[in-house]
Amino acid sequence: MRAPSPEAHREKPERPAPPEHRPPQPVVPKTETPKSDSPKPGRPPGPLHPGSLQRRLLAAALVLITAALVVAGVAIGLVLHRFVRGQLDSRLDSQLVALGAGLERGPGGALRLSRDFDGPPFDRDRAGWYWQVRRGGQVLRSGSLDGRDLAAQASPEGPRGSDQPRPADGTGPWGESLILRVLVLPAEGPGPPTVLVASAPAAALRGPLREAGGALALILGILGVSLVAGTLAQVRLGLRPLERLRRDLAAVRAGERDRVPGKQPAEIRPLVEEVNALLDQNAANLERARTHVANLAHGLKTPLATLTLALSDRTRDPDGVLANLVASMDRQVRHHLRRARAGALGGATRTRTPLAEPVADLRTTFARLYSEKGLVLDVSLPAGAAVACDGQDLDEMLGNLIDNACQWCRGYVRISAAASEAGLVVAVEDDGPGLAPEAAAEAVRPGRRLDETVPGNGFGLSITQELAELYGGGLHLDRSGLGGLRAALTLPV
Amino acid sequence: MKILLVEDDAPLAAEIAKALRAENFALDHAVNGEDGQHLGETETYDAVVLDLGLPKRDGIAVLQAWRAEGRTVPVLILTARDGWSDKVAGFKAGADDFLVKPFRVEELVIRLRALVRRATAHGANRVVCGPLTYDSGLGTFERDGLPLKLTGLEWRVLSCLILRKDGVVPRGQLIERVYDGDADVDSNSVEVIITRLRRKIAPARIEGVRGHGYRLMPGEAA
Repeated sequence: MRAPSPEAHREKPERPAPPEHRPPQPVVPKTETPKSDSPKPGRPPGPLHPGSLQRRLLAAALVLITAALVVAGVAIGLVLHRFVRGQLDSRLDSQLVALGAGLERGPGGALRLSRDFDGPPFDRDRAGWYWQVRRGGQVLRSGSLDGRDLAAQASPEGPRGSDQPRPADGTGPWGESLILRVLVLPAEGPGPPTVLVASAPAAALRGPLREAGGALALILGILGVSLVAGTLAQVRLGLRPLERLRRDLAAVRAGERDRVPGKQPAEIRPLVEEVNALLDQNAANLERARTHVANLAHGLKTPLATLTLALSDRTRDPDGVLANLVASMDRQVRHHLRRARAGALGGATRTRTPLAEPVADLRTTFARLYSEKGLVLDVSLPAGAAVACDGQDLDEMLGNLIDNACQWCRGYVRISAAASEAGLVVAVEDDGPGLAPEAAAEAVRPGRRLDETVPGNGFGLSITQELAELYGGGLHLDRSGLGGLRAALTLPV
Repeated sequence: MKILLVEDDAPLAAEIAKALRAENFALDHAVNGEDGQHLGETETYDAVVLDLGLPKRDGIAVLQAWRAEGRTVPVLILTARDGWSDKVAGFKAGADDFLVKPFRVEELVIRLRALVRRATAHGANRVVCGPLTYDSGLGTFERDGLPLKLTGLEWRVLSCLILRKDGVVPRGQLIERVYDGDADVDSNSVEVIITRLRRKIAPARIEGVRGHGYRLMPGEAA
């Protein structure tokens, strides 16, 4: 097992790879912007991660499978042992019964066999296949015993009576380990009983067992491997909805969709419902915060407007001091309202706003606002251009830039966009007088708007810059090929 | 020129009304969206000053309703929200201009005069009819290059006529555009104003079209 390296965390889970696999390449989803300082979406830990569900399920399955296979192996081994032993025993027993039937009383009462019982396998010398008949002092032996004595200690009589063959303990004349069967035939008259012994080598039991055991181990091994493979497949299949859920959540976070789709397995559905409820609540909170800001704006600005109008009467404000105070209050209110709105940024999800519609709306708006000037607003955007910004903030940034361009242009404003390494660069150019480099630097100096007494003279540029920087973008001012100012707004995509 | 002001904040509405009347505008005032919409649908106005945050009916909804009914009266939106999104939403709903609170009287007046002038299809700031010139930026009249002194009612009548100098202005419409909604209008008073104006603007003439209305003509009858 490989220790969970940092790379293991980055492994894409859908890759159907066992853990001992080529080193995984970190795959960065397309929706990620490397420069974004927001936390990366959590990738699921690799299958070997300590906290992994896959690992838990696999470990449990492995323990169960191993235990089942061991029990099965032992049980099948025992059955096999009994079976082979039974075969051997009946082979020896039939030899004993045949011997008993073949016993004859020879001349002089000598013990004798009616025929030769040294058929195979009892014909091989010292091979362990032996038989022996003993009555009192008389002994008949298989040739394989080579004249030695076969000692056997019969086990106690079985329940079936003394005329049945019984197992016995003993070793061969050369010390070999044997399987023994004993049959005791009682004498017909007075005299010692006839004791018949037959033996087989222990190897006759071990050999087939070893053979069968090998086959059994192979079969059980194959079974085990396929069970593990099946479990692995099952676990991956079972956990696939989790991976799908992760992708759905990533899509929500990237702003590609509003909610996690509700079509989920029953076990995950409650989780998805909770997540969606959280998303809704988040959106509602944001909306509420914005409504508060809007209400505050309305509540503060209406009296300010009244004051402004009232002070336009020169008898009330002869030196204009009060009007200046009101103007300063208005700037403060505007500044802090904007701050409050910007503070609502950076929620859990990022939005993805296509550029075409807001730009078209702004174009209509400015065509109307500057209808006196009869200016031409030229828009050329790449198809499908989109930025990871809130729609209102995008309106705010672009609106300020276009407003500035419309104010200064002689009649032509161009809005264009192009992808760059840092994101999407939206350029607003005009054919007006432009800005000197020092003035351009001054225009985007933070805090300038508070000292600014004439709103509209580059007033919006620093706001745009501030907003763009909140999104991790920026504003760059230089000279346009049209002769005027070129304001290049970089926004994340 | 008659303006409909839809504004719920009483002090602000009073200040706007005072300022506009000082600039010779006739004015009706509605304090909520419903009343405002109703007035806009039943009376004739040269322009509307519409607040967005209104009780009963939101300003955007009122504007959308008017535009859906095909009413083209120029609308200037007053709002506390200075975001471009709000302005875009206003223009999409059919607004003609936008003023963010707080604003200066001069700005409101200039924009209203420009809206009225544009709505009567006059592109330039100055509208000329024979010896008469109307400056919509300043709201002043000149005769042969010299300022013309007019009373409020005279100014309303003459600006209404000069902005529609190519046609006949119906008598009823002229009365609607000249008097406040709550004014007690004497049917002869317009006749009196016209008579006084005729003396002031000669050699330009105001021609009476019997049974119909009045028309401003640049010079002597042929």
